[in-house]
Amino acid sequence: MSATRGEHKHNSEGAMFGGLPSLVVAAHELKAPLALVRQLSLTLEDGNISIEEQKHMLRQISLTSERALRLTSDLTRSVRLPDALFTLEPINPQQLCEDIVRDLTPLFSAHDREVKLTSRRRSLLLVGNRDLLRRIIMNFSDNALNYAEGDARVEIKIDTRNAGQVIRLGVRDYGPAVSNDIFKSLRNKLLVSSASTIHARPQSSGLGLYIVGQFAEAMNGNIGVTRHRDGATFYVDLLASKQLSLL
Amino acid sequence: MKRSSVLIVEDDKWLAEQYARVLKLAGYKTTVSLHALAAIEVIDDIHPDAIVLDVLLAGSTAFALIHELQTYEDTGKIPIILCTHLASELSLENLKPYGVKRIIDKSVMVPDDLVSAVKSVLL
Repeated sequence: MSATRGEHKHNSEGAMFGGLPSLVVAAHELKAPLALVRQLSLTLEDGNISIEEQKHMLRQISLTSERALRLTSDLTRSVRLPDALFTLEPINPQQLCEDIVRDLTPLFSAHDREVKLTSRRRSLLLVGNRDLLRRIIMNFSDNALNYAEGDARVEIKIDTRNAGQVIRLGVRDYGPAVSNDIFKSLRNKLLVSSASTIHARPQSSGLGLYIVGQFAEAMNGNIGVTRHRDGATFYVDLLASKQLSLL
Repeated sequence: MKRSSVLIVEDDKWLAEQYARVLKLAGYKTTVSLHALAAIEVIDDIHPDAIVLDVLLAGSTAFALIHELQTYEDTGKIPIILCTHLASELSLENLKPYGVKRIIDKSVMVPDDLVSAVKSVLL
């Protein structure tokens, strides 16, 4: 059963993660990027660093700050979601994903990694909200950047399901697999909606997934994860647009 | 004089790089592992003098790695410095039997804290 908008509001305000209110978890999630920025800044203050390395560190500071700001922005959007007016419109997922890949390339390059779009043919249009969908894919991609192993690439994939009625946008990473034991222990960690449960990875609070799960539901879609031996694919399923069939 | 080697186990690549930068400037040889499984292989290869370890890692936690290290006599003696945001929730006294010699709070540490901690466990 899908949650109503009213239930969304209740969830966003009262969500608990491992027994902690979402606000506490959000603060904890922001600790990592802030701590990194602080360490880099303190080291730059100390001097004794080559000009080349200083540039490298400053680039890391700006990219890390951008990622932290994305999280705060998603949080704000999530809390305001029930009262916000947003349009659902036909979207070309191929074009949207190409834009995302272009925007994420500097961040991935700075991590010596590659993000690429792999879709086999021209994609059908889907029904969604451009801003929310973009936030979902950016979140999955940020997540994949953390888990991709070595210099493994991250792939954004567009696929159709249910005889073309559903469009699936997935982000595939190649990293260490989550063991069955850990996966089972996380089974009830995160309830994205009343209909589906998705699991965060062990060191993740699951807050990011919770937020994008709300974004997906607001577009009448849902998110999910497929585990692979060498990583995972996080995906969002959205309805295909019937626009073309009306022609 | 042989430089002491420090293994950094931290899944945030840039933070690991930062720790390595600070320790190298202080004269230590550093190796980075981004998760616990890779760390086990590296420990077998390089036999580090100390390990700087994050608690929440991709794949399995630091405690799984600590448990693994404690299984063998040689690796069980390597001093461990936990560098974590969960410092306030951990007790050094409880973790000492498992080779943990220092706990550093990532949120408030300054770069020199890491150097001081490594120095102190290698005395």
